[in-house]
Amino acid sequence: MSTEEKSAAPRSLAEALRVREDVSLAALLRSRPDLITPVPTDLTQLATRAGTRASVVRALERLDRFALQTAEALAVAPDPASYGELLALMGGDEEDPVVAAALPRAAALLREQALVWGADDRLRLVRTARELLAPSPQHPSPTGLGPTVREATAGMSPGRIQEILTAVGLPSTHDSVSAVSALGALFADRRRMAALLAELPGESREVLARLMWGPPYGQVTHDPAAHLRALLDRGLLLPTAPGTVVLPREVALHLRAGRAHRTPEPVPPPVEAAASHRPQVVDATAAGQALAALATVAELLKEWDEGGPAVLRAGGLSVRDLKRTAVALDVPEPVAAFWVELAYGAGLIASDGEADERYAATPAYDEWRELPPAERWAHLAAVWLTATRTPGVVGGRDAKDRTLSALGPNLDRSAAPEVRHRVLALLAGLPEGASPAEESVLARLRWERPLRGPRGEQREAGSTRDEDLRGRIARWTLSEAELLGVTGRGALAAPGRALIGAPEAPRPAAEAQESEPEGPGDKLPVHHHRMPPVAAPPTAAERAAATAAAARLLAPLFPEPLDHVLLQADLTAVAPGPLERGLADVLGVLADVESKGGATVYRFTPGSVRRALDAGQSAADLHTFLARHSRTPVPQPLTYLIDDVARRHGRLRVGAASAYVRCDDDATLDEILADKRAAGLGLRRLAPTVLAAQADPAALLEGLRAIGFAPAAESAAGDVLIARADSHRTPPRAAPEPVPDGPPAPDDTLLSAAVRAVRAGDLAATTPRKPGPGGEGGGEDAAPDGALPRTGAAETLATMQAAVLTGEALWIGYVNAEGAASQRVIAPIRVEGGFVTAYDHTADEVRTYPLHRITGVAELADDEG
Amino acid sequence: MNGPLIVQSDKTLLLEVDHEQAADCRRAIAPFAELERAPEHIHTYRVTPLGLWNARAAGHDAEQVVDALVEYSRYPVPHALLVDIAETMDRYGRLTLSKHPAHGLVLTTTDRPVLEEVLKSKRIAPLVGTRIDADTVAVHPSERGQIKQTLLKLGWPAEDLAGYVDGEAHPIDLAEDGWALRPYQKQAVENFWHGGSGVVVLPCGAGKTLVGAGAMAQARSTTLILVTNTVSARQWKHELVKRTSLTEDEIGEYSGTRKEIRPVTIATYQVLTTRRKGVYPHLELFDSRDWGLIVYDEVHLLPAPVFKFTADLQARRRLGLTATLVREDGRESDVFSLIGPKRFDAPWKEIEAQGYIAPADCVEVRVNLTDSERLAYATAETEEKYRFCATTDTKRKVTEAIVRRFAGQQILVIGQYIDQLDELGEHLGAPVIKGETSNAQREKLFESFRQGEISVLVVSKVANFSIDLPEATVAIQVSGTFGSRQEEAQRLGRVLRPKADGHQAHFYSVVARDTLDQDFAAHRQRFLAEQGYAYRIMDADDVLAEGS
Repeated sequence: MSTEEKSAAPRSLAEALRVREDVSLAALLRSRPDLITPVPTDLTQLATRAGTRASVVRALERLDRFALQTAEALAVAPDPASYGELLALMGGDEEDPVVAAALPRAAALLREQALVWGADDRLRLVRTARELLAPSPQHPSPTGLGPTVREATAGMSPGRIQEILTAVGLPSTHDSVSAVSALGALFADRRRMAALLAELPGESREVLARLMWGPPYGQVTHDPAAHLRALLDRGLLLPTAPGTVVLPREVALHLRAGRAHRTPEPVPPPVEAAASHRPQVVDATAAGQALAALATVAELLKEWDEGGPAVLRAGGLSVRDLKRTAVALDVPEPVAAFWVELAYGAGLIASDGEADERYAATPAYDEWRELPPAERWAHLAAVWLTATRTPGVVGGRDAKDRTLSALGPNLDRSAAPEVRHRVLALLAGLPEGASPAEESVLARLRWERPLRGPRGEQREAGSTRDEDLRGRIARWTLSEAELLGVTGRGALAAPGRALIGAPEAPRPAAEAQESEPEGPGDKLPVHHHRMPPVAAPPTAAERAAATAAAARLLAPLFPEPLDHVLLQADLTAVAPGPLERGLADVLGVLADVESKGGATVYRFTPGSVRRALDAGQSAADLHTFLARHSRTPVPQPLTYLIDDVARRHGRLRVGAASAYVRCDDDATLDEILADKRAAGLGLRRLAPTVLAAQADPAALLEGLRAIGFAPAAESAAGDVLIARADSHRTPPRAAPEPVPDGPPAPDDTLLSAAVRAVRAGDLAATTPRKPGPGGEGGGEDAAPDGALPRTGAAETLATMQAAVLTGEALWIGYVNAEGAASQRVIAPIRVEGGFVTAYDHTADEVRTYPLHRITGVAELADDEG
Repeated sequence: MNGPLIVQSDKTLLLEVDHEQAADCRRAIAPFAELERAPEHIHTYRVTPLGLWNARAAGHDAEQVVDALVEYSRYPVPHALLVDIAETMDRYGRLTLSKHPAHGLVLTTTDRPVLEEVLKSKRIAPLVGTRIDADTVAVHPSERGQIKQTLLKLGWPAEDLAGYVDGEAHPIDLAEDGWALRPYQKQAVENFWHGGSGVVVLPCGAGKTLVGAGAMAQARSTTLILVTNTVSARQWKHELVKRTSLTEDEIGEYSGTRKEIRPVTIATYQVLTTRRKGVYPHLELFDSRDWGLIVYDEVHLLPAPVFKFTADLQARRRLGLTATLVREDGRESDVFSLIGPKRFDAPWKEIEAQGYIAPADCVEVRVNLTDSERLAYATAETEEKYRFCATTDTKRKVTEAIVRRFAGQQILVIGQYIDQLDELGEHLGAPVIKGETSNAQREKLFESFRQGEISVLVVSKVANFSIDLPEATVAIQVSGTFGSRQEEAQRLGRVLRPKADGHQAHFYSVVARDTLDQDFAAHRQRFLAEQGYAYRIMDADDVLAEGS
């Protein structure tokens, strides 16, 4: 994409955007969706927003390694730079052809992303990006380059500069500016520079070689050795602070033969195949695993069928319950967390919302169960692919050092769906049946979305972890895909391929290369003109189609369900394959599962047979059931076991009654039962002389008396109870404490805090301040060099940003979330994403304020001290 | 994919025995998988770390194991399991014990971090000496067994390549006149000798003694044989005199009554583990001669102190003989590390199929307690409960009925409680052998039973092991040592010796219904059912009706 700015060269990003075609603007907005929330009113506003720090950081973080390297090179190039200069920085003096071939793509990408604008002869990096990427002593650049001669000599005495000129054999000039230019020109001139370096002693050249790839700073003593002095004299090292010297950028570039990066990475590292299996083996293995996945989820739900584990107060599953579940499923805990989260994500389990909150299966589970196995799997797999919840982090700790529990809060990682999709897409790029080398997948992902070099510490701790997270998610994706049967023996299986919408038909390798530029065999850089897909998320309909396709492919891979088992004399039944649902359900009740996998081993025990009887089966039912489904004669001990348990089953009966009536005379009890007035007491005859009642003893006594009997109450031991009113007592209670009049006397801490608050409030209210312009609201900023109308919000922002640079304190009006207005004195530290982080003198701590809540801002008349 | 094997995710292997490839598959997986259950249709094997290391010790590698699984599996083998197998097997042999010309015994590694890891262990530290180089550390020769045991517990089993001493030579030959070692016995001896040390697992009655004799004939050196009790010791002596070139005078008995030390000495575990004033006075037996071979009979019963002595004997060849590696105390790993890996096993049913042991009909007879007995059982003290239900009177009647039914055949009645046995003996008119019966008396009774002079013998658990009663065709078990599985195996073994007339053997267990007795019986029988000996269950009433 060579930008078509044929008209007058644009003078600002806004103008550059204005001449872009609609398609190209749409591409920008797709790759940087933050720019259209909310939709900007015009291109000027779009340009402003594209230049904000938060948005630029976000855009930079989403660049692939080579585009980022290009941006970094631009940041150390003159502003504006020509394409030729950029190419020289990237490709070096010898012009690496691979870099030269890849660079147009990177440049076009940067331009598309509105990080770079201007024609090829005047490429400009957006100012914010330049600030972020340009080297400074605090934030060394990933290029390892230092400041330019001009930057490094700022503040140097003119005399000293002239001395340097003399030392390198240049004529002295009348002012420092031209002297520095002359020096810079010398350093940039390869031929003259080579001659200059040739004069130096070997030791000096070694020092330069040490510094050339960065970091460019070095320490010197007060009295440097001769070889260092030679460098200092010639300005090949320039002092930055007492005892510190820096290698100027021009010198480093000369030493590096013009290259900004030690190792430019123009070509994405290929994903390498670690092993290759026959596609049939892969599909069969994956199908086996898919079946196991379904069985595991079903088992989990069965385990939790009659009341799952309790929900923690903060949400989620306790560590103990997870452990228990892991034991029940016979898997390690992280794997158990995966299954639990998968079932949760698929909507098969949820908290029941009762007072005593527990996890339980949802009605959706019952529907899911009715689906054919392949569709059940496809549902799980589709959910897994798009879930942001990442079971992998379970067991870790969040920013507040709380343990992350399965099903608990804070498990969402927004990068997960994209990384998952990308990993599978990379797998899909391999020839069929090939399993990838994990490291090569990770390397590829790192290339596509690199960590932004040593700049890490500049960002908040949280986002550093997020970067690292992508690699972890990728690892989890590989292992989870294997668990789920998306891959088999590490290679993407046909249903998995369909799931991500990759072409489903097996393709010959050559064709694969053409359609998949990410393929490993594909070494020609020209293919990389196509971007790694800017995640244009598939529509719901596309996803549904992909899921259905996956199910269709999987279905024939599943073994046919069996309708029989093998019964053995050691009281086990072996189902040598998956069973039909009904059969599996009944067997699951009648016997305990002892071993799972391709086959299932059931063991009959007295307990399990009793369970079946409790579920309403009779011994005869069980015999018939076994005889029908056994391929072999039913062993005698099993028949015997069932009869033996059935013989004793239900011989004892247990029920609940609240009271009983006992009478030696059967006739009296007959009379009571016959009496209509006793109907409400819920009486039932248990034995000739005993009635059981649902009514409690007091109501029963009352009722019988009402009918005209004279019953006596009986104690638990059978004695007649003497009725006598009991004195009523409370449970143990403490005597009331005396309540003194008025508040308690304040202590010293409280007093001093109160005084400080009063004083600070005073400062805010009384500090003389410059009057600010009226705040009408509605901010609009313009391109750096455009004239702009100033409004309240813009003024606020500008003043804040200025204060960040100067470190000044400001007086602000602030409305809190409850709508209460207050005045505060703050010293802004950072303005970012609509928030200002500042040291609040009023509260005496660092706080963050949303800019939209700040009503106005004024500078303090005096420097606060 | 239609193989006979199903690989389960819990590392059990299900083998369909009726499948045409079943035999090939069994041969392929036997080296690394333990046969756990062998009922009629589907045999269950288990892949354990010990099993995998056994296979490594026998020279198999992970590739072969994985190939065997993949080749015979009906369904795809879970990838995780294959990875796990490879990793587990890879742990064996990272450490090796070997002889060093200068430093004696040394522990060497091919993987330095492993050595670092184990050396950090507190339990290893006292067993090793100086570090010779980065990959080698000296080991005190006396700790050879101890260190192997500990390393196994740490999950890094060491391969012992330090070799064996030859011991004092002594000519021993098999006297194969009119008999010969059976093919599987030959195979067992060969495997053992090739492996150096280890355990041979054969069912009762399959001729373990002859495997011992075969091994001795291979070693041709002085031999120490450790057996469970005196009767068994005499049995060994008798058998050795009959089957080998050894004479009575060359074989010594070292027991409570006699303390002979000869080129071949048979000692009982009991005398070795006798303690006086905190020391084992008979330990010197191990050092009294330069033994070239030590044979452990009934390894699954090896008492804990013997393990300790064995740890010091790692330079001598050791042969363990047993019917089952199942130990009620779960010390299988000590057997592995101290005596050696399993060198040979053959499933019970397979040897039966070859006609070397008799087929058996196992019946459990359930008797009902009378109402008054049930009440008494319910109120009995917990520790008395089993005794109470196991010795119910009804059992006597049933036993009598069974004895009547098999009148004329050689019948053993086996029990746990002396009172019950005495009473049974009285009612059946049969002699009783129990702990207090003198050895002379025992031998006399056994001999007359063998001769057929008496047809019914009532024995307590003293007869559980190693007495040879070739013509017993019916065993009736009236009570047992709670749920002991190996006892059940031993007792069944009593009737499994091949019969002269090809008679079927009968094994009856008389069990009181709905009591602890039944629970224990179920536990014991499960073991046999898993060996392929299916039980029939009968009601006592049916037995009584049949018998009358």
